[in-house]
Amino acid sequence: MNDIIWLTMRRMRTPLIVLILVYSFSVLGLVMIPGVDASGREFHMDYLHAGYFIAIMATTIGFGEFPEVFTAAQRLYVFIIIFPNVIAWLYSIGTILSLFLDPQFRGVLHRTQFARRIHWISGGFYIVCGFGNTGSMIVRGLMKRGITAVILEREQEIIHSMALEDDISHLPALAGDVTDRRLLELAGLRKDNCLGIMAITNEDHANLTIAITSKLLRPELPVLARSETRRVSANMASFGTEERVDPYTIFAERLYLALTSPTKYLVQDWLISVPGSELRTEMNPPSGRWIIAGLGRFGSRIAPQLEKAGMPYTVIDVHPDRVDNREGSVLGRGTEADTLVLAGVEDAVGIIAGTGDDMDNLSIIMTALELNPNLFAVGRQEIKQNDELFDTSGADLVARRSLIVARRILAMATTPLLRVFLSHLVLEEESFARKVKARLETVLHGRAPNLWMDDLSRETAAAISIAAKEKVVIRLEHITHNLRMEKPEKLDCVCLLLERGALRLFLPGPRQELLEGDRLLFAGRGSARRLIRWTLTDPNSLISFATGRQHPRGAIGRWLARNHAG
Amino acid sequence: MNFEKVMFAFFIVLALTLNFGFFLGDIDNPDHHHAMELGAALAVSLIATVIKFGDRSQMGAVLLATSLVADLQLLLASFIWAYSAYATDAGVTGEVVASIVSLSGGALLANLVSVTILVAETITIRR
Repeated sequence: MNDIIWLTMRRMRTPLIVLILVYSFSVLGLVMIPGVDASGREFHMDYLHAGYFIAIMATTIGFGEFPEVFTAAQRLYVFIIIFPNVIAWLYSIGTILSLFLDPQFRGVLHRTQFARRIHWISGGFYIVCGFGNTGSMIVRGLMKRGITAVILEREQEIIHSMALEDDISHLPALAGDVTDRRLLELAGLRKDNCLGIMAITNEDHANLTIAITSKLLRPELPVLARSETRRVSANMASFGTEERVDPYTIFAERLYLALTSPTKYLVQDWLISVPGSELRTEMNPPSGRWIIAGLGRFGSRIAPQLEKAGMPYTVIDVHPDRVDNREGSVLGRGTEADTLVLAGVEDAVGIIAGTGDDMDNLSIIMTALELNPNLFAVGRQEIKQNDELFDTSGADLVARRSLIVARRILAMATTPLLRVFLSHLVLEEESFARKVKARLETVLHGRAPNLWMDDLSRETAAAISIAAKEKVVIRLEHITHNLRMEKPEKLDCVCLLLERGALRLFLPGPRQELLEGDRLLFAGRGSARRLIRWTLTDPNSLISFATGRQHPRGAIGRWLARNHAG
Repeated sequence: MNFEKVMFAFFIVLALTLNFGFFLGDIDNPDHHHAMELGAALAVSLIATVIKFGDRSQMGAVLLATSLVADLQLLLASFIWAYSAYATDAGVTGEVVASIVSLSGGALLANLVSVTILVAETITIRR
C-alpha cells in the first residue's frame, strides 16, 4: 500500500503544485474584484463563493449559477483565468490517468493486491512456482482436495490467460522472476499456514534456486522440486529438499516394476491415477531383448533398470560416443527402417522410443510396429499437445513428462503417507501386493480410487475420544461402515496404512483397534470418505454400533443407563 | 424400539403441540387463551431442554439452542401474565393477552425448528 501512495505522490507533485498555484491565484483575484448585488450596492465575494465558483469553472462542470450577476470587470477577469485553470486541471487529470496506465504503477498495484490476498488466506496453501501444464494440473488437483495454491510464473501472458479460466481465476497469481527471494516472501513463504513450496518450472536451475532459497529462509518447510538431471537432483538432496521429482527416473523405475512384478506395478498405478479414471488392467511387458532408440536423459535411465531386470538391450543413437562402447549398438536415428532392422527389430520384444523429439518418437514407434507388430512399444512424450497422436500411435506405454511430475507431486503434497505405503509395497513380498490388489478390486468397481488421510485427533474425530472416555473399544470396522443405515453396510474403502507414533501397520485388519492420535490412509470412493468423516464426529452412532446397544443421546439417559446396568 | 428415543421425541413434539394449542385463537381475547395451557407448555418445554442436555451428536447443540429460545419466550410470557394479574389493577386485559400470545408465537417458531431438525435427523439416520 505504501508503494502506491509514494508512487502517486511522486508523480503528482508537479501537477498538484501547478493546480494549487493557479487555483489560489484565481480565488484571490475574484475575492478582490468588487461586484454589484441586486440592489446596486457594491460587495466583495467571500472565499467560499469564490472557491466554489472557480472549482465548477475550472473543472468545466459549470452549473451556471452565479452568486450575483457579474460586473464587466469580474467577467473580464474570469475570461482570462478560465484558460490557465482548465489547463491545470487537464494536466493533473492527464497525469493521474497516465499513472494508472503506467506498467510500473500497475505492477505495484498488482503486487499489493496479491500480497493482501495472501494475507487473507485462512487455510493451508502451497506456493506453486511455474504454471505450465504440470503446474495447472497440480493446482487443480490441490483445489479438488480443498487446498489453496499461490501461483508464481515467469510469463505474464500465462497469468493473464488464467483470468479466463473460471475454476482457477480466483487464485492469487503473480508474474515475475520466480527465483527472486522477495517474490517468494511476497507469496507467503514466511506465513505459518504455508504448507510447502513446489518448484516445478521447466528449468532445473530455477528449481534449484527456489529450493535453496526456501531451505535457507524456512528450513522446516517441505520443498517439492522437479529436476531432470542427476546433477541437480543430487545437489537438491544435499541440502534436504524433501522430494526431488525426476520424471525420467520415476518412469524408468516403474518400467522396472512392470517388468519384474506386474501386480506391484498395477497396484501402484491404481493408487496414483487420477481419481475416477478408468483402472488400468494387467499389463505384461514381455521378457527378451529390447531396443532403446535414443540414449539421452530418458534412455540412460531406462538402460540400467533393464539391466537390473535381466533384459538384454540394443541401443540406437545419433551420438557416436553413446554407441561406441556398447556392443551391437547402431549409429543412427531409429526413425528409418534400415537402422531398426540393423538393430534386430524382427526378433526384439520391445522398443523404447526415447529421443527428445516427439515426432521422431512417433515415427520410431510406427516404423518399428510396421516391421514387427508384436513389439511392446514405449514412447517418450515431451509436449502435452501431442496427447492424441501418442494415444493413436499404438504405443503400449507413454511416458508423459508433465503428467508424471504432476501425479507424483500431488500425491506427496496431499497424502504424505502414500509415499510410505508405496515404498513398502515395492520392498514387500509379491503376496502383499496381491492381497492389496484383491482388497482394492472389491471396492473400486473399475474406477481409480480417491486417497485420503483421516487424523483421529480431538478436533476432527471427537467421537473417538468420547468413546475412549466411555471405555468403548472402537475398531477399524466400526468406522468403515455406513452407520446411517438400519443395517450398517460396508463402505467402499480400504485402509492401507495406520500410523501411530513410530508404529506403522500396513493393511490393518477390520478388528484393528483405533486410538486417539492415529493417522489412517484410505483408498476408496469419495462417498466413503464423507461418511467416515461424519461417523468420526457422531459419538452416538459410533458407540451404538460398536457396543451393539443403542447409546442414549442425552446426559440423563446415559446416567439412567449406567445406574440401570450397575 | 428404544425407550430413550421415544421419550426424546415425545417431549420435543409435545412442547410444540401444547405451545400451538395456547397460541390458537384471537390474539387479544382472554377467553381463547388459558393460563393452564401456557403453564403446561412452559413445563414441557423445560423438560425437553433438560432431556437435550449432554447430546454430543452433530445436531445436539442446535437442538438445545432452539429449546432454550422457546424457554426464554415462554418464561417471559408467563412473567407478564403473572405480573398483570397480580400486580396491576387493570388485570389481564386484551392488550396484555396480545403481547403474551405473540411471545408464545415466537416460542412456537423455535419449537417448530426443533421438531424439523428432529425429523430431518431421523430421515438421514435410519436407525
